Amino acid sequence: MTNSDINRLKDKAFHIFGIFCTFIGLVVLAIFLFDIIIEGLGRINWDFLTSLPSRRASRAGILTAWVGTLWILVLTTVIAFPLGVSAGVYLEEYAKKSRINNFLEINIANLAGVPSIIYGLLGLEIFVRQMRLGGSLLAGALTLSLLILPIIIVTTREAIKAVPRSIRDGSYALGASKWQTVWNQVLPASFGGILTGIILALSRAVGEAAPLIVIGALAYVPFTPSSPMDEFTVLPIQIFNWTSRPQEAFLTNAAAAIIILLIITFMLNGIAVYLRNRQQKKIKW
Amino acid sequence: MGKKIKLEAIDLDAYYGDFHALKGINIAMEEKAVTAFIGPSGCGKSTFLRTFNRMNDYIEGFRVDGQILLDNKDIYQKNVRVDELRKEVGMVFQKPNPFPKSIYENVVYGLKIQGVKKKSVLDEAAETSLKRAALWDEVKDKLNKSALALSGGQQQRLCIARALAISPSVLLMDEPASALDPISTAKVEELIYELKNDYTIVIVTHNMQQAGRVSDYTAFFYMGELVEFNKTKTMFTSPKNERTQNYITGRFG
Repeated sequence: MTNSDINRLKDKAFHIFGIFCTFIGLVVLAIFLFDIIIEGLGRINWDFLTSLPSRRASRAGILTAWVGTLWILVLTTVIAFPLGVSAGVYLEEYAKKSRINNFLEINIANLAGVPSIIYGLLGLEIFVRQMRLGGSLLAGALTLSLLILPIIIVTTREAIKAVPRSIRDGSYALGASKWQTVWNQVLPASFGGILTGIILALSRAVGEAAPLIVIGALAYVPFTPSSPMDEFTVLPIQIFNWTSRPQEAFLTNAAAAIIILLIITFMLNGIAVYLRNRQQKKIKW
Repeated sequence: MGKKIKLEAIDLDAYYGDFHALKGINIAMEEKAVTAFIGPSGCGKSTFLRTFNRMNDYIEGFRVDGQILLDNKDIYQKNVRVDELRKEVGMVFQKPNPFPKSIYENVVYGLKIQGVKKKSVLDEAAETSLKRAALWDEVKDKLNKSALALSGGQQQRLCIARALAISPSVLLMDEPASALDPISTAKVEELIYELKNDYTIVIVTHNMQQAGRVSDYTAFFYMGELVEFNKTKTMFTSPKNERTQNYITGRFG
């Protein structure tokens, strides 16, 4: 065999290996999805979505769980969106290079990697105990906001960074202040990217169970929350609770709830992808 | 001469951190005339241009010593408001940089951020500025279309219209035609020739012929120093300095 034959063989070998690696993840996911759908799809009906939890699997529903998830989604957005975007704008547009800002930047990047259960402990101490919010929706949303703030800040900065310098120059040269430039030019031009980041961050928050369990969200809530101060449960906690029961029927319930949770996450991701594509089509520099 | 001096630099030094970018510049530019800055890349001509509307303020580590006078007032004094200064001194950049908005929104942006809301005022300003920039006939039927859909040359004239809309008295142009094709370049040059009836124009250019065609005065910069400043005709026919002659005749640069 000549040298070039060996090279070609290596090339081919890696090609096949690459395909294999790509498929491993996908195949496992597909098997999981298939299994869940077989198990749970038959269980999904109107009653399942509108019933309160129950000790009897056949009567138990996920009303409180998905309403709680929706509440958490909305509250977390309301809290994390303005905070995260403002922080991102500050760091990218206003902050001068200084030791303190350097320190801030490194730590925000680090925060994105902190395990979610640690945020749960933080939320337990600050929101539940110090601020006396108890195991309420507000405490849960605040905790999840902390969790996704670093992601929002980082994606906001990336989106803002992608707006070319020349647009800012054009605005400044016409006498615009920094704030006018950010508000009229930079934010509209980067909004698609920012929104995409926020939605992806939310879809992460929707799937979190650990930090909410730590702050005391309950598995059994016999009513749908009607204010941010009410106790609550969310889909991941409900799923966790059902999977830890011995009865076979509860596993079916869990599978059905997983399908609902997946639909919510896929929808959020779908919106994110749609927004990103629209943004890319609309603006070319 | 005997005409009024519009812009003046007195013993101007500028620094980027430790780098001494402009060295002891003294120059006085006449009102309603075109002054061209020429010189090899990195000679400081763009930096100098940007001191007249303080666009360098955003660069970290940049500072100036000396004075820049606009109508005999030092624009680097503490009490000068940069936004007010830039209403007086407009700027057009090397690469056309229209905002990703409609043509109309681009032109009226400067007025809107000043708080002008009346539609009739904005409409009139848009029409007048676009006419002055020789773009009106090409865009009057699509004012609400995106400015990014225009050709490069049209975009640059839109940027000129945008600068004119806030009625400045000085127009700074940083290589305004270097990213354009020859036909668009000719249009922009024609426009500069028209505009000098009403505006004091300072233009940075790499193109000797362009400097020769559009400017009344030319300043040659080299390594942060102003080497020679004279009437364009005099400078191009009988430069006093050897370096100027070498540059103009294309022996370096």
